[in-house]
Amino acid sequence: MTKTDKPQYKIVNCETGEEIVRDANAEEIAQIAIDAANALTRKAQADAKETAKAAILDRIGLTADELKTILG
Amino acid sequence: MATTTNYGWTTPDDTSLVKDGASAIRTLGTSVDTTTKNLNPETTLGDLAFRSSTSNVNTRLGIGTAGQVLTVASGVPSWATASSGSMTLISTTTFSATTSVTLSSIPSTYKDLKLVIRNLKPSTNLQYVYMRFNGDTSASYTSSNGNNAYGLDQLSAFGATELIFASSNNSTTAQGLTVIDIPDYLNTTTWKIGYFRSIGNDSTPTSGQYSNGIIAYDDLAAINSITFFRPSGNITSGTVLLYGVN
Repeated sequence: MTKTDKPQYKIVNCETGEEIVRDANAEEIAQIAIDAANALTRKAQADAKETAKAAILDRIGLTADELKTILG
Repeated sequence: MATTTNYGWTTPDDTSLVKDGASAIRTLGTSVDTTTKNLNPETTLGDLAFRSSTSNVNTRLGIGTAGQVLTVASGVPSWATASSGSMTLISTTTFSATTSVTLSSIPSTYKDLKLVIRNLKPSTNLQYVYMRFNGDTSASYTSSNGNNAYGLDQLSAFGATELIFASSNNSTTAQGLTVIDIPDYLNTTTWKIGYFRSIGNDSTPTSGQYSNGIIAYDDLAAINSITFFRPSGNITSGTVLLYGVN
């Protein structure tokens, strides 16, 4: 199959061992966009959590390493 | 006519005439040949023979297939797949510049599944590889990490559209190893869970990261396919081995 700019999908049939590599279809490309948006949301939530943690540490005057020492 | 003690082969009597000797020897030889064959029915390398319900006639048991063990069924020996403690390699698949890799048509002949993922590498730093069952893109998943990393902590309500098993997120170095156990994957009456243990290359800082956790899927269907994917970019390299466990 000729390589294209479209995302490549590999499907392996575990019964027969057959492997197919093909372009993603329209439905799969739409799902990739949804997944990417979800990943960005998750990252933003994780970043916000880290920021909140850092703000609390700053307020009480501890560094992250000092907190680890206390909790360790 | 006289006969032998064990197999009853016919032999000449002491009073038999000499002219009948050739015929008597031929009869005896045929009897010996028939008995020998009845006692040795094997035809192929590795075949076994066992006593049948008829005396002096054995039954052939053809050689089994690799990994089978000798057992007893209905009172006679037979070959069977090991009932416990065995692990069978179902597939070995390499990742190579693909967004998604699906292991489909997973055999329904095992109790549990085990995934061994080696040297996984995303195309971009800080990007993890995700996983789904049965091509299900609905919000039916949740994941936790014992190390409280990757934004994961305790299992929460099923609300994610993918499973996250912590692995390498370094786009240049891939020395990671992840093992995921998925028990009772065929049952159709419970949600599904998996356990992962992982060591991988972190991209910031460029060091090792270690994790263990649980993935969960709130669907009752048996698992017949597993998809690994990246929501952006590719899975550059790596290998996944899928084992069936009994």
